[in-house]
Amino acid sequence: MGDRLVVDRLTVALDAGRRARVSTTIASGLVHALAGPSGSGKTTLLRGIAQLVEPVGGTVHVDGESPEVVGYPSFRRRVVYVDQRPAMMPGTVATNLAAPFAYKSARGTFDRKDARGRLVRLGLPAGILERDASKLSVGEQQRVAFVRAASVRPDVYLLDEPTSALDPDAAEALEAMLREDLDRRGAAALLVTHQSAQSERLASKVVALEALDGPS
Amino acid sequence: MTGALALSTVDLVIATSLVLVAGAVSVALRLGLEKRLAIASVRTVVQLMLLGYVLRWVFAQELAWITLLWASIMIAAAGRAAIARSSRTYHFIYVRSFSTLFVSSLATTFTVTTVIVGVDPWYEARYVIPLLGMVLGNGLTGISLTLDHLLETLDVRRAQIEAELALGATRWEAARAPLTEAVRRGMIPIINSMSVVGIVSLPGMMTGQILSGEDPVNAVKYQLVVMFMLAAATSIGCILIALLSYRALFDAAHRLRADRIESR
Repeated sequence: MGDRLVVDRLTVALDAGRRARVSTTIASGLVHALAGPSGSGKTTLLRGIAQLVEPVGGTVHVDGESPEVVGYPSFRRRVVYVDQRPAMMPGTVATNLAAPFAYKSARGTFDRKDARGRLVRLGLPAGILERDASKLSVGEQQRVAFVRAASVRPDVYLLDEPTSALDPDAAEALEAMLREDLDRRGAAALLVTHQSAQSERLASKVVALEALDGPS
Repeated sequence: MTGALALSTVDLVIATSLVLVAGAVSVALRLGLEKRLAIASVRTVVQLMLLGYVLRWVFAQELAWITLLWASIMIAAAGRAAIARSSRTYHFIYVRSFSTLFVSSLATTFTVTTVIVGVDPWYEARYVIPLLGMVLGNGLTGISLTLDHLLETLDVRRAQIEAELALGATRWEAARAPLTEAVRRGMIPIINSMSVVGIVSLPGMMTGQILSGEDPVNAVKYQLVVMFMLAAATSIGCILIALLSYRALFDAAHRLRADRIESR
């Protein structure tokens, strides 16, 4: 399979006139890690690739298609961003997992059994589906957010410290689930992580962001 | 109709003494409100007396452009008041507040004056200006509450809205719940006042008409028209300001532009 995500000199604005830029091409089944010091704009770059913040330059394509052509909601479904401190929507975990299937851009239907199986694999009790999502710990929310993203079967994952609040077992299970999804469906991932061991385990390449000062 | 009993200067002075009682209470209980009360009282006197003279002049002109000019001044002031107390703002919020009040208040006021009351000529200031004033008073409260609630929600629940957008929601799908809540919040005062009218409160306009010697049943009919006019104007206003703010704060790429919301 070919290139899934092509990011060409995508630039985002940070505070105080600083900017951050990145270029990378990720093929099916591969993970790239985005590297840079704290505060250098890694999260903003991921959000820029997902078009959640407006890039000030550069382009991004998924399977050769730009967000303008695909339509922004469909693009974000295909290139899904998972926040380090994920926000839960009001209601139960099940409501959260089913929500993306009510959107106009939805493909397929919510598979409750599959979602429960994934949550259990990540070390969560099956009964968590009925719990109020806003009352979960950050670690539990991280796992729910990953399953919520995986359920929409994205072509590309943009993962921002996806296991920062997880214990080693849960982190390993999440990595295995990601790996499996990439292998089976040919998805790709761009990962931000401070854990060099995780980066070494998952990523085939480390991409450094470029810090730019001054006006664009 | 017997007409209102005219008030003399002495009557007004006696009324002023009622405010002095409030001032005395403030001094006695050390509330520290006497200065603010005095300033507010002087402002009330000056503003209302000025209004009385201006309205007398406006009513006497019987010219369409003067009625419309005065209406525009009222809408401009109401548009400013609607956004003045909000703790958050965004670029060109005043233009949207003014446009909302312009459309919602003029559409409902002229519907009432021309279609229901049958004012002839259509611009007769004696009818248009007081009715417009009531519409604007209620409309600006509704708009103010809607705006305040919407901007707070978009700011505070930004992460949650962006989580929906990140999973493929359109801007409308992500904004619908905050918009609905904000419009509902703006509509609460007018719905509350419709629920208790005649039981807890006697509306100002009806009271005024009865004091002026109007038949109470006729005054009630007018009040009914006014209440429905206010409800219509407020709901149109709340919905319109919510939609205009939605267009301003979500861009064509289905992004929440929280960066456009400023605290003050």
